[in-house]
Amino acid sequence: MGDLLRATWAIAAKDVLLEFRSRTAFVSALVFTALVLAIFNFARDPTAVSAIDLAPGILWITFTFAAMLGLNRAFALERENRALDGLLLSPASRTAIYLGKVLANLVFVGSVEAIALPLFALFFNVPVLPVLGPLVLVIALATLGFVAVGTLMSSMAVNTRLAELMLPVLLLPFLVPPVTSAVQITSRLFAGRPFSEVTAWLRLLVAYDIIFVAACVLFFEFTIEE
Amino acid sequence: MPETGGFMVAAYIAAAAIYLSYAAYLLSKGRKKD
Amino acid sequence: MTPIESAERALRRSAVWILVGLLLLAGVYVRALVFTPAEVTQGLAQKIFYIHAPSAWVAFLAFGIVGVTSVVFLFLKDPRLDLFAASSAEVGMVFTTEVLITGPIWGKTVWGTWWTWDARLTLTLFLWFVMLAYLILRSAVQEPGQRARYSAVLGILGALLVPFIHVSVYLFRTLHPMPVVLRPGRPTLPGSMLVTLVASFLVFTWFFAALLSHRYAMARLADARAHAAAERDDA
Repeated sequence: MGDLLRATWAIAAKDVLLEFRSRTAFVSALVFTALVLAIFNFARDPTAVSAIDLAPGILWITFTFAAMLGLNRAFALERENRALDGLLLSPASRTAIYLGKVLANLVFVGSVEAIALPLFALFFNVPVLPVLGPLVLVIALATLGFVAVGTLMSSMAVNTRLAELMLPVLLLPFLVPPVTSAVQITSRLFAGRPFSEVTAWLRLLVAYDIIFVAACVLFFEFTIEE
Repeated sequence: MPETGGFMVAAYIAAAAIYLSYAAYLLSKGRKKD
Repeated sequence: MTPIESAERALRRSAVWILVGLLLLAGVYVRALVFTPAEVTQGLAQKIFYIHAPSAWVAFLAFGIVGVTSVVFLFLKDPRLDLFAASSAEVGMVFTTEVLITGPIWGKTVWGTWWTWDARLTLTLFLWFVMLAYLILRSAVQEPGQRARYSAVLGILGALLVPFIHVSVYLFRTLHPMPVVLRPGRPTLPGSMLVTLVASFLVFTWFFAALLSHRYAMARLADARAHAAAERDDA
């Protein structure tokens, strides 16, 4: 178990460091966020559509696209110099490689989310602070779900002829349960609804995370057999 | 009774078209000597 | 019998089954259109039910086969299982597409609009997307072993996804009451209509099995020919 944790941490740290040095995906994600903010601001009629109605959906569109940008890089990095072979030859288990990648992707997406959320609160005038605790919990749970599945999908996508195009095709159907739950919960949190209204969605989200993280850990090795 | 016969015809024809063309595609591709 | 001869035999056999299936399908058409009474509140469009519901059953059956076969493939690693799963996905795609076309046509007469994110149709839509992803993935991977492994993983994850999408849509609809005029569900049917429906279910299942056998035989034949050609090249 100790080996697993050490290897996972090492792989995650390597990826995070690499991304931190080049920062291209991170900057792209932030630029995308700013773009979404600007477009939605100018696209809506403020008297007809209230910001609070749109904000949860826009927030989660931004989060998922940021995740895709990060996910595309996750394995592309390895592929470039056949670095994956080196990883596979190392004593790190397949599971450690997978978990390390997931952790690195979580750091990436989490960083974008941490910057995007205050910006949204500011520009859309949504009351984030009173519900910050539950909101962060929901964001963490949903992000875990789609990053876990996305990491597995990108390990396959990167080996296909269509690469970056393949990832959205593979991943989007799998985003429906976590993102729908997240949007529904976020929307109720912003509206100040009682917690009892979101328990069903929360249960769905947690169940999704448990089942799909377990499934992805189980099946990851089949995607990088040599 | 509402007049919805046209929709029925459209759906039945669309379904037949889909199944017939796929069956034809399979049968002809199966015959093809490589 | 060589693999090629075995596949060719299966091909000829299943071609006959397909032709029988087409005749049976024509029979269902006649039975539903001519010999089954129309329903009063929806008019003739209700008859779409007789080709819509059985297709939906087949679509989900086909995908279930993909899921189960994928699991077995990861254990046994027999490439024929991969070919069978792929065949089921392709044939299933055809039926799923039919559901998505006949559904909205029927829905327009019942809901007044072509689409309302109805629970079952939405689930079928996402099933369609997953099947499409499966087929696109296969076409994007060249090496057969890798293609088989990737497909199996996607097939299993896709099968796991289906109940989650179902719950998501169900929650969305029950907590978001939507204007629904009539639900094109499965009403309690009087005798004659029930007979037509059951007959249609049986015929559609036959037709699916026939198409699946044929597609699988085609896949085995292509695979056997490729192996024979590779052996000739080596020799």
